Amino acid sequence: MLNRSSYKHYFIMLLPGLVWLFFFNLLPMYGILMSFKDFNPGLGIFKSEWIGFANFEYMFQIDDSKRVFRNTIFIAVLKMIGNLIVPLVFALMLNEVKNRLFTRTVQTIVYLPHFLSWVIVAGIMLDIFSYNGPINQLLMNFGSEPMLFFANEKLFPWMVVLSDVWKEFGFAAIIFFAALTSINPEMYEAAAIDGASQFKRLLSITLPSVLPVAILLGTLSLGNILNAGFDQIFNLYNPAVYSTGDIIDTWVYRAGLLDMQYGLATAVGLLKSVVGLILISISYTLAYRFANYRIF
Amino acid sequence: MKRSFKILAVSLIAAMSVTACSNNNTSTNAGNSSNSSNSGNSQNTTVDQADAGSAIDPFAKYDEPVVVSIGRSIDPNYKYEGDDTAEDNVYTRWLKDAYNIEVKHEWESSTSDYGQKVSLAIGSNDLPDAMLVDETQLRQMVKADQLADLTEVYEKYGTDRLKQIYESNEGLLEGVTFDGKLYALPETTLPSAPLTWIRKDWLDKLGLEEPKSLEDIEKIAKAFIDNKMGGDNTIGIVGTQQGGSLYSTFLSSSDHFLNFSPVFFAMDAYPGIWVEDENGNAQYGSTTEETKAAVSILRDWYAEGIIDKEIAIRKSSQEVISSGQTGIFFGPWWSAYNLTDSIKNDPEANWRPYAAPLNAAGEFNSNQATGSNFIVVKKSYEHPEAIIKMLNIHVNEKEESYKTAVGKEMTSQEIPLFLIMGHGDQLDYAVNTTQKVLTGEMSLEEVDKLNYGFTYELASHVKNVKLEPFDNYDIQYWDQETDKDFFTHIYAHLNGGSTFVNTKVNWTKSLATAQTKTMQSKWSNLKKLEDEVLLKIIMGTAPIEEFDSFVEKWKQQGGNEITEEVNALK
Repeated sequence: MLNRSSYKHYFIMLLPGLVWLFFFNLLPMYGILMSFKDFNPGLGIFKSEWIGFANFEYMFQIDDSKRVFRNTIFIAVLKMIGNLIVPLVFALMLNEVKNRLFTRTVQTIVYLPHFLSWVIVAGIMLDIFSYNGPINQLLMNFGSEPMLFFANEKLFPWMVVLSDVWKEFGFAAIIFFAALTSINPEMYEAAAIDGASQFKRLLSITLPSVLPVAILLGTLSLGNILNAGFDQIFNLYNPAVYSTGDIIDTWVYRAGLLDMQYGLATAVGLLKSVVGLILISISYTLAYRFANYRIF
Repeated sequence: MKRSFKILAVSLIAAMSVTACSNNNTSTNAGNSSNSSNSGNSQNTTVDQADAGSAIDPFAKYDEPVVVSIGRSIDPNYKYEGDDTAEDNVYTRWLKDAYNIEVKHEWESSTSDYGQKVSLAIGSNDLPDAMLVDETQLRQMVKADQLADLTEVYEKYGTDRLKQIYESNEGLLEGVTFDGKLYALPETTLPSAPLTWIRKDWLDKLGLEEPKSLEDIEKIAKAFIDNKMGGDNTIGIVGTQQGGSLYSTFLSSSDHFLNFSPVFFAMDAYPGIWVEDENGNAQYGSTTEETKAAVSILRDWYAEGIIDKEIAIRKSSQEVISSGQTGIFFGPWWSAYNLTDSIKNDPEANWRPYAAPLNAAGEFNSNQATGSNFIVVKKSYEHPEAIIKMLNIHVNEKEESYKTAVGKEMTSQEIPLFLIMGHGDQLDYAVNTTQKVLTGEMSLEEVDKLNYGFTYELASHVKNVKLEPFDNYDIQYWDQETDKDFFTHIYAHLNGGSTFVNTKVNWTKSLATAQTKTMQSKWSNLKKLEDEVLLKIIMGTAPIEEFDSFVEKWKQQGGNEITEEVNALK
């Protein structure tokens, strides 16, 4: 039997995290009040005038709010799928390569972009896909007209997802590599003796073994469904792709920080948080049901 | 980016400052402006306090150190002397020693993020004692009652010189007076219209005429592209870069550097500012038929490849100019400051500005820049007079100790709360006088050194830099080596400035220069609508008919309401 005191050190370890949570997440919550007020910085949040739901009403009136929610969800969902499937497939493929030196080298190279900030990666991306950039040169060799990938409404969200997956898949694959190494090699030996082909072994042993990890990662990432990646989009977008590329975070940034419409920006941010909370609750339930994983 | 251009513009114009400047240590485009150190007359404090009436000495040293905390924008590329920083340098140390005014930085930010940082400070009501803000921010702070009333301290402590400068710039102080109270100290901006800058060496090579109309510019751009003047990927006209706008607006006049304002002006369109319609009612320039016509021209130009295909996506348009890939761009007279790299890369790059394109009636139109910097002081600050003193010190000739303690020219990077302060006609005077001294029509001694210190500096260096013929500003008639530091200043003033001051500009001023009440809640949405639709039409991803539905939408989503408010302003 464990007695209570043996848990003590866990609580102490938890403390810094809780303090951080309190100061950076709970305390600033009163800022939500701004969305119900005509915020006047001179008076402060508490003394500003109450205006009820005016900010929310205006938010629902403008076309933009629907559009930014739709864009956010579209980009975030594609990113979730891409960032789950690509690393998984990549890990499975690399796992079949027996040359250790090769796998190590490839692994190191592909996870490097993860450590670069979007400011840098966006610059590289814009250059590579620029009008006279290498990609367009290549396309021109095949006789097609050069195009502007990052100024095209239809392509933009896909370019965002693609560049994000390119940047992150190597790093995301690490977890799958870990899961792969924990598979008991005796299973493969047994299967080989029973005459299972390499592909059959992949399907019947490897895949089922890493599936719980994949499901877990997938459900947990649901909480991020409204985070389509501010850093990335902010550095890549331009007014020509607002219709498909503008997301909640970039919109709130422009309204709140650039145009000083604090109330409206807070209202949109609050709505994002509410929807986010619902989604996290769902992902929690799903994680428990399908992966038998409880966070608390 | 927008902000950084503005700062650049500002620091360039700063070179025009009334006080002397003798650029001696920095790169060309940093705008080394500042205060005169070469004054023989250092005892002028007595003259200046005459107006103070009572016993107040506007230059008196404080008995106890007075701390001024400020928010400061820093140019990350600026090189300070030795271990100096923006907060602790020869100028601030001298300020402390000579006047007991101690400048502390509450926060610092890069020039490009400064506006955002200020907005954040306003929003959180966590203000430094003083800082520089733009007009919208100023009004927001007035509304929020965050600012100190400077009326009294300005009257008491402002020197004659300071007051003269403000008086010579009509309407400047009225603009920052709300309910009879002076809430800010504005900068004296210079008017500036966007000119068309063209590589004249290319024009000559192809035997083309100087441009007058939009069609001429189109023809020249086509010729440059067809003859591959800038290599295989020659870009006809380069302009707006990522984060930039197609034209300057009433809220952020980035001084027209590298955008497409002139194309609009030539069509009598004034997008981005508030103008009068034929009945004298206010209307927003971006929603007019003229703007539609101008957009349609840009759309054709884009389709034909005349303007940069990567408009609004390109990271740096300046780079295209420097690398010699283009032969045409639009920019104000001081754009010449930004051409040094281009000239370095190609000594034949002979950039000349033209007052073109003209409109159908042959007039040269421009909107009048409205953006500016203002010094504001926090309401609860105990020593608002210290801020007035700092500005006094900035615009007046310095005490004796300045020469030994500082001894060289300071820039906006050293001088805290730096404003461009000059007489209304400083550019005209600088250009005309420098020309006259060059040709010998005027002697150096005749230059009004007291009021136009920087002109004196230009005039005293011009002969090292400009070769004969004196009235030809082509690049081959300049000596770039003898007096490197002054080459850029004089090149900008004579090559760019002379074209501008000798052009009759048909100015249009915005009816509103800051956000109205409804704008505060709805402008961000309307601006986004505008930016998006216009850019899409130009890039050909939306049909030109979309313009009309944009105007409809714009009006519905708050535009009508705002127009009413602007009407009421008149």
